[in-house]
Amino acid sequence: MDKMIKKATAFEIVNHWALAVSFFVLAITGFGFLFHLEQLNSIFGSFNQMRVVHNWAGVVFAVSLVLTVFDYLPVSLRFSSDDVTWILKGGGYFSKKVKSPPQDRLNAGQKLYYLAILLLGIAAAASGLVIWLRPDVSDIKKWVLLSHLIHNISFDLLVIAIPLHIYLASLANPGTFRIMVYGTVPLDWAKKRHEKWIKEIGAE
Amino acid sequence: MARKALLISPELCIGCRGCQTACKEWNQLPADKTTETGTYENPPDLTPYLYNKIHFIEMSSVNSERGMRWLFVSQRCMHCDDAGCMKICPAPDALFKTKEGIVAFNKDKCIGCKLCIAACPFDIPRYDAKDKISKCHLCYDRISEGLMPACAKTCPTGAISYGDRDTMIGRAQKAGYQKLYGEADLGGLGVLYAFKDAPKTYDMNEHPAIPETVVFWHNVLKPLAYIGLGGAVAASLLHYIVFGPKKDEEVKKDG
Repeated sequence: MDKMIKKATAFEIVNHWALAVSFFVLAITGFGFLFHLEQLNSIFGSFNQMRVVHNWAGVVFAVSLVLTVFDYLPVSLRFSSDDVTWILKGGGYFSKKVKSPPQDRLNAGQKLYYLAILLLGIAAAASGLVIWLRPDVSDIKKWVLLSHLIHNISFDLLVIAIPLHIYLASLANPGTFRIMVYGTVPLDWAKKRHEKWIKEIGAE
Repeated sequence: MARKALLISPELCIGCRGCQTACKEWNQLPADKTTETGTYENPPDLTPYLYNKIHFIEMSSVNSERGMRWLFVSQRCMHCDDAGCMKICPAPDALFKTKEGIVAFNKDKCIGCKLCIAACPFDIPRYDAKDKISKCHLCYDRISEGLMPACAKTCPTGAISYGDRDTMIGRAQKAGYQKLYGEADLGGLGVLYAFKDAPKTYDMNEHPAIPETVVFWHNVLKPLAYIGLGGAVAASLLHYIVFGPKKDEEVKKDG
């Protein structure tokens, strides 16, 4: 059997699933509110209860999102010329002949993707909290309208981004999905994709 | 069923506030604790238990060229044809339109999100102690039985009259009001005003409209949610077919 290397800690895996499950609950109930999907009453009972589920799933999502910062933010902010080249080559997703430059523990696409999700998630959570808690300020109507707008823009972008993420982390890259189950990948697999990271941790 | 409407004629109003009382009586709304503020306007604002009120404006030579005047403006939900509250409401049937064109509500279906407050061009919805929407529903339980709303029924001067919307417009035109407030705004309001002066004299918004962000959300962001999700899934499948997955043996190191 191939020599394996740990790419994700148990904490990272559990937290990612918390983020994923809460996102799915939020997106499904979100579509329910947007389009009055009364079929969802068979799952949530009523729109009143669906609101409670939506709000508290939002809390799980927000906490989980903040916790991802430790796993992904430092590496995502480290952007080198290799990363620029990777982006210019489309990450090798649009041609089999492309040779991608060596990458960190996250490749350039993953870095940008993480920063986008972090930003959108914070926007969605913060605007959701304003709508939910309605802070006692004089121009609350304007705050709610602005939050409603931000909540829906981030929702639209997230329901575009998440399917792409799921595709890239499963079908598009065989061998990737196991990271979110076992946390490990074959050393050779990792060397080809995250050469700089392997060198950094000295796992030869 | 023809669309129904109220026709409000401030010039006929004597400020008796019988409409406020009749509304409370029919709808079994408790009294609000209030204080004397030195005007006829009391309570000073709509509450969850006050669906309509007489807004009192005193004009004098200081703020009016026509000198001393008292204006009484009957205020309540305007029952917009294109209603901002209904547009933004995330709970099905919490707000609904009756066959008479009335924007009514069902407290059991209301989820208490309060978005309707932000989307209403007239600052009408209030929330009761249980966090459920509360506002005028034009006594839809009465009018569906062919009765008049309680406020119009009790009005002694005809300042509040009720009937088919077209009939009300015709009657006002015959009385010399060429253009009624609310005739065309928001798809046409269910409460029309026969104003003799500019609406702002009566503290009414000249051009009431649903907030632009809500319109943008409804026309662009809502459809984009389905299109975006579908597009992302379709793009993934298309990529899988056209370019295929990155099989491990095909991934090369930059050498």
